[in-house]
Amino acid sequence: MKQTFVIGPALAAFAIMGAAPGTLAADREVHIAGFGAKSGVVRSFGVNTEAMMRAAAEHINNSGGVKLGDGSMGKIVVSFYDDRCNAEEGISVVRRIAGTKAIVGVGPTCSNVAEPLFGILQKKTGDGKDTGLQFPIFTDTAIKGGLAKISEWAFRNVPNENEMYQSLFKWLRKTHPNLKTVYGGVEQDFAHSRFTWHKVMKVRAPQAGYKVLGEAKWLLADTNFTTQVRKLKKAKADIIAISAHPFTTCGVLKEMKRQRVKYKLLVGLTSSSSMETLQGCAKQAEGIIIPTSFAPVTPAAKVAAKLGAKYKGSADLHSAAAWENMIVLKGVIESMGVMAKPDTLKADRRKIRDGLAKLSKTGGLLGTITRTKEGEAIKPYLYVHAKDGNWAVLHDPGK
Amino acid sequence: MSQFDRLLSGVWTWIFGDLSLLDLVQTVTDGLLFGATYAIIGTGFALIFGVMHKINLAYAASSIAGAYISIAFASLVPLPAIVVFLLAAAASGAVGYLIYLTCFRFIPTSSPLATLMATVGMLILIDEVIVHETNGMPQPYPALFDSVMIEWGDFGLRGDLLFIFGLSVVATIALVAFLYRTRLGVATRAVAQQPVAAQLCGISVPRTNGTTFIMAGLLGGLAGAMTGAAVGTLSPLLTLPLTVKGLIVTVIGGLGSIPGAIVAGLLVGMFENLALAVRDVQERDLYVMLLLFLFLWFRPLGIFGKSSARD
Repeated sequence: MKQTFVIGPALAAFAIMGAAPGTLAADREVHIAGFGAKSGVVRSFGVNTEAMMRAAAEHINNSGGVKLGDGSMGKIVVSFYDDRCNAEEGISVVRRIAGTKAIVGVGPTCSNVAEPLFGILQKKTGDGKDTGLQFPIFTDTAIKGGLAKISEWAFRNVPNENEMYQSLFKWLRKTHPNLKTVYGGVEQDFAHSRFTWHKVMKVRAPQAGYKVLGEAKWLLADTNFTTQVRKLKKAKADIIAISAHPFTTCGVLKEMKRQRVKYKLLVGLTSSSSMETLQGCAKQAEGIIIPTSFAPVTPAAKVAAKLGAKYKGSADLHSAAAWENMIVLKGVIESMGVMAKPDTLKADRRKIRDGLAKLSKTGGLLGTITRTKEGEAIKPYLYVHAKDGNWAVLHDPGK
Repeated sequence: MSQFDRLLSGVWTWIFGDLSLLDLVQTVTDGLLFGATYAIIGTGFALIFGVMHKINLAYAASSIAGAYISIAFASLVPLPAIVVFLLAAAASGAVGYLIYLTCFRFIPTSSPLATLMATVGMLILIDEVIVHETNGMPQPYPALFDSVMIEWGDFGLRGDLLFIFGLSVVATIALVAFLYRTRLGVATRAVAQQPVAAQLCGISVPRTNGTTFIMAGLLGGLAGAMTGAAVGTLSPLLTLPLTVKGLIVTVIGGLGSIPGAIVAGLLVGMFENLALAVRDVQERDLYVMLLLFLFLWFRPLGIFGKSSARD
C-alpha cells in the first residue's frame, strides 16, 4: 500500500526558518549529483537548477544537515554536470555519475535527454534479466508529458502541462469571450515544445471552444522567421500561442513586431516564463500569458528565490522544482534510513528509489504536490504575464 | 475558368500548395535579401580557394568570432551599430590571418589533407572558445533599421535586410575594385593563376596569401555581423549552418569564382526560403542539399566554374 509522506508543513517551515550558521558538524557526506544543460541556448536552465540545488543544500546543511539511518548527521554535497542538452552526452554523464558516490541524480534539463536516458534505466525493479542502470533520477525540468513511466527508477517533479493549458484556455474563454481563434507557433525540433503544441495546446484549445487556424514551425537554431510570421499574420488569429523556448520566442516576437502582426492575446510555453525571455525581448513579450508552477508569492517561495540568487541563479518553475527536489530528498533520506557509507551505496540508491515511489504527497513552494503512481507530479500553478519587464501573477486558479 | 486556367491552377497548387503569387514574390524577395549573407560567406570561401586552391573550413567560424569580438568591445564602450559592424570585420580579418598562419603558412603543400584537417580543428577550437567565453548563451547584437518596414499593401521589405543587402553589394564592389584596380589585387590574381610565375615576377606568395586571408576575413566579419543583426542575437549555433551554407554556395557557384559565389548565395537564400514556405521547416535543408546534388550531377564545376588549365 502506498504510504503517504506529507512533507508539506515541514517544507514550508523549513524554508522560512532562519539558517543557523555553523551548526553541528556533520558526520558523513551525502552526495547528490545534478545534471542539466550548462551550455547552449538553454544554458540558463542548467545554471538556475545548479544554483537552486546548491542553495537548498546550504540551507539544509546550515539547519543541521540530514539525519542518517544510524542516527548520525550527514552533510549534503552537490556536484553538477553539463549534459549540453544532448542525449548522448546526458547518458554518458549519468553513467559517469553512477560511478561516483552520488545516491541520486537530479535532472535533466531537456526532454530530449530525459526520454532516452530513462530508457537506459532498469525498467522494473527486481528484474534480474534487465541489466539497465539501477540509479534513481529525480527530474526537475524536462517536462514532456508521460516520461517517468519509462522506468521505475525515474521520478519527476515537473508540472502537468496538459492540466495547466486545459485550465488556461478554459479561463481565457471565460474572461475573453470575444476571442475565438488560435494560431500556433512551434519549435519543431525540440521534444518539449513540439509535444506541448501538438499534444497539449492544439488539443486543449478546441476543447475550450477555440478554433485552431493553423501553425507555423521553426527550428531551435533558426534565426530567420519572416516566412513563418507572414503565415501567422495572414491567419489573423485572436490568440497566438507560441510553444518555443526563450531564444526563438524572442526571435519570433521581434519579427511579429516588424511585420506589425495584430493579435489580441499571446500565450507562451511554460519554460519561457523565465528571466531570459524578459532579458531578450521584454518589450515584445509584454502581456504574454504563461501558466507556471512557480512564482515568489508564498513565504517559502520568496526565501528559496532569495537564497538561489546568492548562487547567481533565478528561481523559475524549473529551478524551483530543483529546490523542492532537494527538500523532498532530505525527507526520503531520513525516512528510509539512508546510511551514506561507501559499502551501502547500492542499498542507499534503492532506498531512495523506494522512498520516492512511496510518496503520494509532498510539500511544494506553492502548496501541496500530489505524486502519481507513475512517478509524475501534479503541482499547483498560477498564470503569470509579462508586465513592465517582470513576471506578475495574473490569476491563481487555485483560489 | 477555362481548361488551361484550371490546368495552370492545378500545377501551381501541386508545386506551391496554398501559396499565392504575392506570397511567392515575397518569399523569393526575402530569400534573396537574406541570401546576401550567404553570398558574402561564399565569396570569402571562393577567394581563399581561388588563391590557394584550398578550402578554409574555419572561415564561417572566424566570421562569427569577429562578430563576438565586436560585441565584447561594445560591452565595454557604448558604440554605434555601424562601428560594431566595422569592428566585427576588422576582428574577423585578424582571426583570418591567424588561421592562415596556423593552418596554411607552415603546413607543407605536398600534404593536401593536412590544411583541411587543420581548419577543421580550428573550426572546433573557435567554436569551443566562443561557447566557453559566453557559456553558450545567445548575446544581443545591434541592428540598424530593424524596426523599419517598407510596405506596399501586403508586400513588405524589411529595412534591416535591405541594409544588409546594400552593405553586401558595397562590400562586393569594394572587393572587385581591390582585385582589379590595385597592385595588391593584381598580385592576388597572379598568385591565384600561376604562383610560380608570380614568384618569379617578385611577388611574395606568403604575403599575398596572408593578405587574401585578411581580405576574406573582413568580408566574413561583415557577414557574421549581418547575420547577427538580422536576428538581433548572436549564437554559437550559427557557426555550423553558416559553414555548410558557405560550402554549398562555393560549390554551386564554382570553386574559386566570386561572381559564382554571389549568384549562388542569392540562389541558395531564395531556394531555402521557398522550400520553407512550400514544404515543412524540417525538410528545408533537405531541399537545399538536393539542389547541391543536382548541380554536382549536372554541372559539377558550378555556375561559373572553369576547368583549371595551365596558361
